[in-house]
Amino acid sequence: MRHGTRLAAAITAATFVGLLLAGLGVSHREKSIATATGFAALPPAPAPVLKVGRPKMLSGERYVSRWTVVRRPTAAHAAPSASSVVVARLGVSAPEGTPNLLAVLRARTGAGGALWVMVRLPVLPNGTVGWVSRRSLGSYQVVKTHLVVDRRRLQATLYQNGKSVFTAPVGVGTAVAPTPAGDFTIRSKLTRYASPFYGPVAFGTTARSAVLTDWPDGGFIGLHGTNQPGLIPGRISHGCIRMRNEDIVRLSRLMPVGTPLAIR
Amino acid sequence: MNGFPHFDQFLTAVDRDAALAETSSRAEAALSRRGLLGITLGAVGAIVFGKTSVAEAGAGLPASDVDILNYALVLEYLQASFYTEAERSGALSGATAQAVKVVGATERAHVKAFRELLGSRAVARPTFDFQGVTEQQRPFLRTAVAFEDLAVEAYKGQAPKVRSNAVLAAAVGIHSVEARHAAWMRELFGITPAVNAFDRPASRAKINRIVASTHFIVSRPRMKARNKPHFTG
Amino acid sequence: MRLRSPEVGLGEHDSPGEASSRRAVLGTAALAGLVAGLPFFRGLFRLGDALGSPSKAQDAKILQLVLQLEYTQVALYEQALDQAGLDGELRAFAEAALAHEREHVAAIRKALGANAGSKPTFDFGSRIKSAEAFRQAAIDLEDTAVAGYNGQATNLTKATLGAAATIVSVEARHAAWVRAIAGEVAAPDAVDTPMTAEQVARSLRELGMRTQ
Repeated sequence: MRHGTRLAAAITAATFVGLLLAGLGVSHREKSIATATGFAALPPAPAPVLKVGRPKMLSGERYVSRWTVVRRPTAAHAAPSASSVVVARLGVSAPEGTPNLLAVLRARTGAGGALWVMVRLPVLPNGTVGWVSRRSLGSYQVVKTHLVVDRRRLQATLYQNGKSVFTAPVGVGTAVAPTPAGDFTIRSKLTRYASPFYGPVAFGTTARSAVLTDWPDGGFIGLHGTNQPGLIPGRISHGCIRMRNEDIVRLSRLMPVGTPLAIR
Repeated sequence: MNGFPHFDQFLTAVDRDAALAETSSRAEAALSRRGLLGITLGAVGAIVFGKTSVAEAGAGLPASDVDILNYALVLEYLQASFYTEAERSGALSGATAQAVKVVGATERAHVKAFRELLGSRAVARPTFDFQGVTEQQRPFLRTAVAFEDLAVEAYKGQAPKVRSNAVLAAAVGIHSVEARHAAWMRELFGITPAVNAFDRPASRAKINRIVASTHFIVSRPRMKARNKPHFTG
Repeated sequence: MRLRSPEVGLGEHDSPGEASSRRAVLGTAALAGLVAGLPFFRGLFRLGDALGSPSKAQDAKILQLVLQLEYTQVALYEQALDQAGLDGELRAFAEAALAHEREHVAAIRKALGANAGSKPTFDFGSRIKSAEAFRQAAIDLEDTAVAGYNGQATNLTKATLGAAATIVSVEARHAAWVRAIAGEVAAPDAVDTPMTAEQVARSLRELGMRTQ
């Protein structure tokens, strides 16, 4: 290794000289430093084609939320350690057929140097978090939006960088099948499924009904359109958040998948 | 800090290629033999003159220069995303955390400049999975050193191939900044900022190979589907 | 961004073939007149100006200049190591940088052969009398080297450009290194502004180079 490095360095120096000799040929002029005239003959550099602006620090970071997907089936533990209790087992897909999206909260290096990530888990009880090996997760994505659903005022508001950019009335769950409170994530976007009950667009969330636990696909709360707009606003659903179709279409243009959802 | 190791000792401190390959291997979307992203850059459209903005000035560039600019843009995307994610991870501290704020801001400014120049011909931002390297300070610095050294080699390798002088003037002004970054990251990592008297260029093939070996460039996750919803309703 | 007045080029030194095909596309004189006023396009109308096109002779002229620059770096580091009371990281930096600059001098001298310019004399004054003064001088000199090489990139033949590129990044590393030693932001600018040959010569004189 030592010999090889010195050799490499010597080769580089020799290459440099070789390139110079190739470029130069023999010149009998300009033995000493060039005169003012000589310098004037050397053109100044042209304007660079790239206009690099002033570097800007990250801003609006308090509105940043991160999400990732499960890359390989894995266990979520109660603590950042493979020996702590398993809280949930995670597959690579959500029931709706999209990658299994998880909100990333923070990371910690465990004993032995392995990296663990705290994520929100799409399990009951709602609000459960767990630690997953970083190796089981995919790329980190960032959003600066967040959606707030107010069950008392029956209103949904989308914020972008902390600023309200969308608001609409909603229908939420009845008293017997309520929309759960808590912090969740918009995890999928379904379209072209031809089901008027759900309207033109349906978003999957990580929120689950605490009562409809035997529901097909686990009883997940969705955010979707409706074929009964006259019921909105109201307490009318089995837990889903319903929006008039024109509103959910408008929302779908503003809200990326991965947006955190706060239900109050 | 008690001085810097002799240059050949640094090789045991950080084996550049191994540092980048150290991240876990994974099955992922194949990278075409054509390059970093398998991009085919179609022929540049007819040269149109009479426009005055910088962005339109890019329309007058030789196709091979556009190709070089896009190649540089991918490396800038890589660096900008890397530093930005590291800053957001909260895993960095001290002088490293401060340096990353400055260097990240610079790389983002580079990305913006390339995108504005190239306009619709700019390659799209890839999706990066840094696999935890942005979330632990030592692995981060080791990889930052490797990336910056790589960027310096890449610009150096391309500079003699640039046809337009305006592009060359831009490239050299960025190349030296990447070299400053490289020295900075090395100093933070604790190895000598400048090993040799002459820095070597690298070919695109070599750069592509090294970047591909990291498996940092991945497919964008597709979060839309046509499945019928089975929510509670 | 720190300011160093850039000599925004009047010369858009495209190859003649490219440039003349652009002229053909331009069309009317009125349009050309409109465009001519814009800085980016001004150089296109100096196509007949062969002065300054890359050539082996011009490469040699430029290398004579950078040789003076490299001599200055060698001298500054040699004298500072001798007189400035350097220790710790700053000393280690000066020793490493000196070794590199000596290699640069040797390589450029070899390339210029018998025509290599002779070493100037130097009067660095107070710059080598203290560690902090030296550190500042090193930053200025390394930044000058970067700006000087970058400023000549478009004047060099491609082969010599390739060779120069292997050096300029090392000078940039030096500049960042010596800034970082003092806890300064090691890379304060997003892009390095070039210097003309005249500006480099002036900067070297200000730093202490005396031509013979």
